[in-house]
Amino acid sequence: MKEINEIRDDEIRVIGEEKQPKPQGWRWLLLLLAGIIVGVIIWQVWPSKPEPPVEDPEQGVFEPSKPTVEQPVVKLPLAKAEDTGRAFVEMADTVINDIPMRLYIPHQVSLSLHLGPIDKKDKGIIFTAQAADIRADNGGIVGAFVLKGEPKAWGLSKKGYCAIINDTVTVGVADNSPLFEEATEKSGYFFRQFPLVDNGKLVENEQKGKSVRRALCVRNGELFTMETLTQESFHDFAQALVDLGVDNAIYLVGANAYGWATDSEGQRHEFGDPNPKTSKKWRNINYLVMREK
Amino acid sequence: MQTSCYLCLAMLKKYLIISTTTDLVRIAPERIVFISSDGNYCNLVQSDNETRMLTFQLGQVESMIREQLGTEGLQFIRIGRGLIINRNYIYYINIQSQKLILSDVARFTHTVSASKEALKQLKELIEKEAKE
Repeated sequence: MKEINEIRDDEIRVIGEEKQPKPQGWRWLLLLLAGIIVGVIIWQVWPSKPEPPVEDPEQGVFEPSKPTVEQPVVKLPLAKAEDTGRAFVEMADTVINDIPMRLYIPHQVSLSLHLGPIDKKDKGIIFTAQAADIRADNGGIVGAFVLKGEPKAWGLSKKGYCAIINDTVTVGVADNSPLFEEATEKSGYFFRQFPLVDNGKLVENEQKGKSVRRALCVRNGELFTMETLTQESFHDFAQALVDLGVDNAIYLVGANAYGWATDSEGQRHEFGDPNPKTSKKWRNINYLVMREK
Repeated sequence: MQTSCYLCLAMLKKYLIISTTTDLVRIAPERIVFISSDGNYCNLVQSDNETRMLTFQLGQVESMIREQLGTEGLQFIRIGRGLIINRNYIYYINIQSQKLILSDVARFTHTVSASKEALKQLKELIEKEAKE
């Protein structure tokens, strides 16, 4: 069945409005006759096709069934890093639950965090996106934050975390994570964000409203980031990640937060607002950074 | 004669049929108040205040309405990604509070929410049709 997804939340449409002009009088009869003749010819000539197999004979109208992803589930990674021999980010668009989304799948990269405005001239950065939120009132980093072993902020307001220690990236949900201390001991990195998916299960968040959403995800041991191409609620975004088969995911700063991804051709694809944030309020702006290994 | 004509009309009457390999739902369009998206499923709210869960996405249900009901499908309006409403039951629109009340002003009243822009367009559509 044809899917109709091309509608935004700020649009309406009358269903069945697309009317075909009706042929009139003798034209109508002529067309009908021609149609019948063509139909008979096709019926006589066309080889019969076997019935398509029934995918799920037990599926009921009123019974919950396995959620379906409209576009084919993307297998990660889509291409091997050896294909090019250098670091790059593979981008793939998909639609899940009517939500258009973009996957950024990094290859041959190592992760770290960066504190302060990002250097747009740094071509060694293959992918970057804003990591931890900063407070609107005093510009402080929200939640615990460790930069190369140095704790910059403490706090548990958000239960999702990402720890990067000796090239091992852990994305999870916990009130207290020993990885914070480990990151400080081993020159690692650590930040907190809203949890979205915990061991394949959706994590509800209280935040309301809709915005462009981003997430750092792990599926089957593969790390990637996702971005919605439309404004979505936290719940819908998290549900889409669950339906994609994501094991663990935490939020990355959404809306017009700036970042970019560099594709296999070396072309940079920016997202968010590229204007530099120079005021004092933004002194703690921070980024998840992926560089070539 | 009157009875047979009535039967003819009844036979011509269109129903929305939602079918899978094992189940089938057949419902008259005017009995549908609205259909809301719920992840991969939909909830169909009927005029008898019953709610049916459908294991189809809203876009698929919209296609069924278009294909099966033809011009009778005109009574349904898709509002954003999350809602299909029966325009016959539009009772109250408040753009500022993003509120849309669907009611027959007798047996049922349902309040749903939509974006301001969508409600503005809906209001304009209703106003335009009232003038025609």
